[in-house]
Amino acid sequence: MTDKKPDPRRPDETFEPFEETRRIPWPVYSIAIALAIWGVIMLVQTSTAVEVADKTQKEVAKEDSTKLAQAAAPDLDAGKTLFADNCATCHGDAGEGVAGAFPPLHGSDVVKLGGAKAVTHIVMRGIGGKLNVNGDGYEGQMPAFGSVLSDTEISEIASYVATGLNDDAKTISAPEVADIRKVAGDKDPFDGGAGLAGLINDLPAQPNSEAADQGADSERVARLVGQGTDTVWACASCHGDKGEGIETVPRLAGLPAPYLAKQLHDFQRGTRFNDSMAYVAKGLSDREIGELANYYASMSSPSGAKPALQGDLKRGAQLAKQGDWSIGVPACFTCHGPSGVGVAPNFPGIAAQQPSYVAHQLAMWAGGSRHNSPLGLMAGIGKALNDSDRRAVADYLASLAPMPAMDKTELAAMESNIPVREGVDQ
Amino acid sequence: MSNKHPSDIPPRGETKSSRGQTVLRAILAVGGGLVLVVLGSLLVDFGLAPSWLTGATRDQSEAETAAAQSGGDGKQAALFQPPAESTIPDDDFGKSVRRGMAIFNDTGTNAHDFVGNDLSCSNCHLDAGRQAYSAPMWAAYPVYPKYRGKNKMVNTMEDRIKGCFTYSMNAQGSPSGGPPPYGSDVYRDLQAYFFWMSKGLPTGEKPEGAGFGKIDKPAQEPSRQRGEEVFAQNCAVCHGADGQGQKDINGKVVFPPLWGPHSFNWGAGMHKVDAAAAFIKHNMPLSEPNKLSVQEAWDVAAFVDSHPRPNDPRQIGDVTVKDAFDKWHHKHQGFYGKEVDGELMGPGYPSGDQASVPAQNENSGG
Repeated sequence: MTDKKPDPRRPDETFEPFEETRRIPWPVYSIAIALAIWGVIMLVQTSTAVEVADKTQKEVAKEDSTKLAQAAAPDLDAGKTLFADNCATCHGDAGEGVAGAFPPLHGSDVVKLGGAKAVTHIVMRGIGGKLNVNGDGYEGQMPAFGSVLSDTEISEIASYVATGLNDDAKTISAPEVADIRKVAGDKDPFDGGAGLAGLINDLPAQPNSEAADQGADSERVARLVGQGTDTVWACASCHGDKGEGIETVPRLAGLPAPYLAKQLHDFQRGTRFNDSMAYVAKGLSDREIGELANYYASMSSPSGAKPALQGDLKRGAQLAKQGDWSIGVPACFTCHGPSGVGVAPNFPGIAAQQPSYVAHQLAMWAGGSRHNSPLGLMAGIGKALNDSDRRAVADYLASLAPMPAMDKTELAAMESNIPVREGVDQ
Repeated sequence: MSNKHPSDIPPRGETKSSRGQTVLRAILAVGGGLVLVVLGSLLVDFGLAPSWLTGATRDQSEAETAAAQSGGDGKQAALFQPPAESTIPDDDFGKSVRRGMAIFNDTGTNAHDFVGNDLSCSNCHLDAGRQAYSAPMWAAYPVYPKYRGKNKMVNTMEDRIKGCFTYSMNAQGSPSGGPPPYGSDVYRDLQAYFFWMSKGLPTGEKPEGAGFGKIDKPAQEPSRQRGEEVFAQNCAVCHGADGQGQKDINGKVVFPPLWGPHSFNWGAGMHKVDAAAAFIKHNMPLSEPNKLSVQEAWDVAAFVDSHPRPNDPRQIGDVTVKDAFDKWHHKHQGFYGKEVDGELMGPGYPSGDQASVPAQNENSGG
């Protein structure tokens, strides 16, 4: 046994060849370093997110506690700021109104007689139709802000309008607003000045209400919306009972009937792509499309949208109100109307639209998978916006009050604009 | 490694070394790939990736190029960038600037007494008067006072704005019946806004981007018929098939009327086909500048400017359209004083009744 030659392949017992010659390969180092960097960055990002979340929670808590504190005195400065953001577009910076179009809030008999309480009711529910203020006649549509403003915010605005713009000494507190919300929050907009009669005592004569004949919608439309048919899914199953939409399913309530009809025809023709909608639209007749379009156009419903994409609301407001001409983007409101209420027949309202839907559609226009806007206007705009702009503007629009519904007379006037299947695509 | 029994090591030789190399290559490839993926994802995450790679179009230089091309016919001159709105100071001067900006953007509301139509300054001076080649106010402010042939005198900025109200805003049809009187706060605030916007530009020099920019002469004589076609395809969706603009549900003007009783009058610069063509070429359709060809811009300008509109306010009393034409319009490239489809252009509408029926002013030349 001793004469057995050592295996020549066998290295010396003390020799450790691998440790000297075999270094760890550099790719492994690189991977380790890269992963370490990645890990640290992710850690920082996560902790920032946690901090932000913490802060938001604290703010909410603070808001809650201040809400209680404010039971006695709403913050009128905050009210002024909120007024500038939500009311001044129409009623003017100082609430002076616009002759013939928007009633004044400064020195207004309606505000003086009704006080902060009446203002709260109107802000929460909106108002539409004929209205007399200080003896002048107005006829317009004010959206309902109940779904986009909190009780605190409404109390601040109403108190500012009553005491800051008028001489009323009485403010309204957030809990009082909450009480009003309980009884009136879900009600339809006031039917013009006549609708205010029960709310405000001694209100000067108001024009007669022209209560739009909301007549029963045809049974067929009700069935399509609520139950669907063999080939058509119930609209409400995705778009919601009130047509308010959810996530990437759009809000339909209050959009111009010709716009809605065109979209359904485009789904039918394949000039707008969405598998679900293509299937549904192919099961609809022209007549049903017209009726559905009218049904949703005349629907008034609260906002179902909330900023949800962590968009920069300031940037969103800039894009919506002024645009960013350095990238060739005019203000959204230039075409979609002040406050995004839309301009029938071609420009849909974009206020209170679902943010995920808006951001998604903008991305689709940018990528070319949606291309059915007039003159291709939205394609250029979609391409000019980057991802954070899309989220910013979508979130900002989601923070706005929903557009008021169109009444039957407006719809009738638009009837001729509803395209038929053979119609020319714009 | 040291606890590995040596006999486990495969025998040396060609196969082993080649297998070792394969393993090393594999590690290199996979490792290198991973490193690239991680670094790449980090770059994209932090927006450091070049735009040609990600397809993003928000690259600064691209935006600048686009801006320069938007009106300059490919000219790449550096354009003045007016200060951002956020830099308006928070003092009494700033308040005046903001009031001026409000008047500029919604003239009918904020200078209500002096506006006789449905237009705002910002309808033609886009982006609140900041957009190059849509007669930006920063390009106008530094060249006033100046002599103008239109009224044959040295005009201050106030004189010039008065002219805007008189013609483009059709002040004769306004509640007060005329433009703001000299010294009005309307002028003061508008000038404060223009002055603030022009910060840093030398006076007396016309900066690049002024006016509506240059437009080449059309190959063919501008044609109303072709223009009608261009209008229907490119303009009607916003300005309406009848050119009367569109309002929102509350009756607020969103798209301005281009002719008829609620548009600019025959004394406004935009009634000249060459001015309108340059504006249209470089600015319309909104967000798609230079979409129309030179010929299309001239054609559609001719179509828009060959419709009735309020009378030239200088044409009052005994002054007939022919007189006014000989005195003020004979050098213009426009339709004033000419007949279009048998209708004389210029008589305007009966005063006090800005209805939609044009006055038939017979025997006043043509």
